[in-house]
Amino acid sequence: MAGENPMEQFAVRPLIEAPLFELGGHPIYFTNQALLMVLVTLLSASFLTLVVKPGRLVPTRSQSVAEISYKFVSDMIHSTTGSDGLRFFPFVFTLFIFVLCCNFFGMIPGGFTVTSQIAVTFALAGLVMLTVIFVGFAKHGIGFLKLFVPHAPWYLLILLIPIEFISFMTRPISLSVRLFANMLAGHTMLAVFAGFVVSLGAAGGLLSGLAIAPLALMVGIFMLELLVAFLQAYVFAVLTCIYLNEALHLHDQH
Amino acid sequence: MAEETATHATTEAAGHATPFPPFDTTTFPSQIFWLVLTFAVLFVVLWRVAGPRIHTVIADRRSAINKAIEAAKQARADADAASAGYDVALAGARARSNALAEETRQGINAEIAKAKAGADAQATAAMTAADARIEASRGAAKAHVADAARDAAIAIVARLTGETVSADDAAKAVKG
Repeated sequence: MAGENPMEQFAVRPLIEAPLFELGGHPIYFTNQALLMVLVTLLSASFLTLVVKPGRLVPTRSQSVAEISYKFVSDMIHSTTGSDGLRFFPFVFTLFIFVLCCNFFGMIPGGFTVTSQIAVTFALAGLVMLTVIFVGFAKHGIGFLKLFVPHAPWYLLILLIPIEFISFMTRPISLSVRLFANMLAGHTMLAVFAGFVVSLGAAGGLLSGLAIAPLALMVGIFMLELLVAFLQAYVFAVLTCIYLNEALHLHDQH
Repeated sequence: MAEETATHATTEAAGHATPFPPFDTTTFPSQIFWLVLTFAVLFVVLWRVAGPRIHTVIADRRSAINKAIEAAKQARADADAASAGYDVALAGARARSNALAEETRQGINAEIAKAKAGADAQATAAMTAADARIEASRGAAKAHVADAARDAAIAIVARLTGETVSADDAAKAVKG
C-alpha cells in the first residue's frame, strides 16, 4: 500500500526533482498530477479525434462512444439553454470530457485523481463563472445585473437582492467543492477500507479471514465511485449549462 | 545538494504535521499551470478538430438517411404513378377490345343477316318459280282432264248412240 495515511494519495509530488522554470516567482514542477492531466488530455483528445472517420456512416464501437459523448453534451446544452447555447458547446464539451476523464483515470489504483484537488476544481469553477459573467455583460450590458432582481414586490427585493447576490457569488465555491469533496471522500473511503484489508490480513489467524469483509465492501464502494465519477462530471457540465442559460436569458425561460 | 534537500524534506515531514494535501498552497502554482496548459490544449483540439469531425459524421449520416428516405418516397411515388398508368392502359385496352369485339359481332351479324336475306330471297324466288310451275302443271293437267273427259264423252256417245258428237259440244256438255 501507498501508506497508512489515507490522505497521502492526494499529495501532489514533483516527479522531476528540479522545478522546470519559475513563473512569477513560483517554481513550476512536473508533478504526478501534471502527468495525469497530460495523459488525460492526450488520450481523450486523440481518442475523440482518431476514432471518428468522416464519411464512415456506420460507426465502429469507439466511434459510437465519441458520437454518444458528443450528442450527450449537445443534447444537455440544448435542453438547458436552448439552441443559442450551442455556441458554448466546445467549452462545455471540454469541461465534461476533462472532468470525466480525470475522474475515471483517478479510479485506476495507484493513479492520481486530478479532480480531488480544490485548486483544480476551483480554477475550473472560476473559469465557468468568469465565462458566465463575460457572456452576461456581453449580451445584456449593464442589464445583466437584473439577474439579481427576481420578479417580486419591492419590499421583498430588499431581502431578495442580497440573497441572489450571495447565491451567485457562492456558486464557484459550491461548484468546485461539490466535485472536489465527492472525489476526495470516495477515494479516502477506499483507502481507509484498503487499510483495513491490509491490517486485518496481516493480523493472521481468524482475523485474516475477516479481511474479506472490507474487501467486499471496497468492491461495492468502487462500483459506486465509478457512478459518482460519471455523475459529478455530468453535474459539473449541467450546472455550467444552467449558469450559462441564466447569463443568456436572465430570468426568462428559454 | 541532493542530500541537503532530502534532509530538509525529512525534517519538514517529521517536524510539523504535513498539511492536508489538497490545501497545500505551495503546490497551487504547478497545479494551475498544468491545468491551464492541458485544458487549453484539450479545448483547442475538441473545438477545432474533434468536434467538427464528429459533427460532420453525424450530419453526413443524417443527410444520408434523409436522402435515402427521399429516394424511397420518390420510388414509391414512381411505382404508384406506374401502377396508375398501368391501370389506365389496362382499362383502355379493355375498352378497345370490347369495342372491337362488339364491332366484329355486329359485322358478323350484319353479314349473317345479309346472307340470310339473300338465301331468303333465293328461296322465295325458287318457291315462286315452283309455285308457278305447279300452277302451270295443274292448268295443263286440268286441260288434259277436260280433254280426256271430252274424248271419253265422244267415245261413250258414239258407242251408245252411234252418233258423232262434235268436240265443242262434248266439251260444253262435260263442263256443264
